[in-house]
Amino acid sequence: MRPLVVVPAHNEEQCLPHTLAELAREAPGLDVVVIDDGSRDRTRHVAREAGAKVITLPVNLGVGGALQTGIRYALERGYDVVVQFDADGQHDPRDLPRVLAPVLEGRVDLSIGSRFVSDDPAYRAAPMRRAGMMLFSLVTSLAIGRRLSDTTSGFRAYSRRVMWLCLDYFPQDFPDAPLLIWLARNGVRWTEVPVTMRPRVAGTSFYTFTRKAYYPYKTLLASLLACWRAPRKEEPST
Amino acid sequence: MTRAQLIAALIAALVALVVLELVRRRRLSEDFSLLWVLATLGATMLAFWSGLLTGITHALGAKYETSTIFFFGILFVLVMLLYYAVKLTALIQEVRRLAQEAALLRLKVEEKVGDDAATRPGRSA
Repeated sequence: MRPLVVVPAHNEEQCLPHTLAELAREAPGLDVVVIDDGSRDRTRHVAREAGAKVITLPVNLGVGGALQTGIRYALERGYDVVVQFDADGQHDPRDLPRVLAPVLEGRVDLSIGSRFVSDDPAYRAAPMRRAGMMLFSLVTSLAIGRRLSDTTSGFRAYSRRVMWLCLDYFPQDFPDAPLLIWLARNGVRWTEVPVTMRPRVAGTSFYTFTRKAYYPYKTLLASLLACWRAPRKEEPST
Repeated sequence: MTRAQLIAALIAALVALVVLELVRRRRLSEDFSLLWVLATLGATMLAFWSGLLTGITHALGAKYETSTIFFFGILFVLVMLLYYAVKLTALIQEVRRLAQEAALLRLKVEEKVGDDAATRPGRSA
């Protein structure tokens, strides 16, 4: 089983060197690909200098679009597992084995690194954000009939089956609750594993004010429609 | 024929001409012209056949002919907007797919050529 770490990066020249160095140190031997999502800064060169493989998108597609590029690449090159990993240093590479293990062992197709499984006291979100997270966790849990604590986690591992499904439908800017509902409805076996999230190292988040305001509407609508959409019958072709 | 009917007919004819000319010059595709041609045809018919508008107004239960005109006018605009939104969505999906393919192909070229100078994106030039 060959895993691939996919790191979507949009204007992350400040965070990437640290993140990639830490990845190389804490998780040696893992293939890493950085998806430069139409950055206007030196993201691409910084990633190259750190020794990572870089896929450069000519335009900015959003987190989902970048991830989907990484998934296409992984399928093309015969990787068995894709791990989604944030460029901003939020994710701890020491958690990688724990997130990867359930998929590598073939127990599940989708493994989600969750902040809330172990009730990590170090993680404290702002009240509004916390309320939103609870709402989407509730919506998702209701939709799939099983408790899912962290829908907004960007630390996930996907099996080949999930990658196939992600080619077919992948929310482009917020690949969260609707994606998880869609995957669960397709009979994807999943689990949550506890991880710790840290504050971003530097730079600015993808979630600007307008995106934060728009997120609830789009995610709620897409979640409801994901419940309604018929599951796929057969695997799509590349 | 009242003056208002004459003006309506003239404008409809003018719009139809502009649409057809745009299609002739390939500035507008035949698919996009369809709704416009239908709308101008409808307007021309209403202009020349005054009984039609009154008939439709009665059938709809509206009080005034102007309401009927505005109703269909707004309906036309809404259908048009929705049609464009659908087309835009399709375009966005196509562009996204193309960008992803381009990025993956670029990587393959870079792996072959080694240096990325040859494939540097246009915006840096």
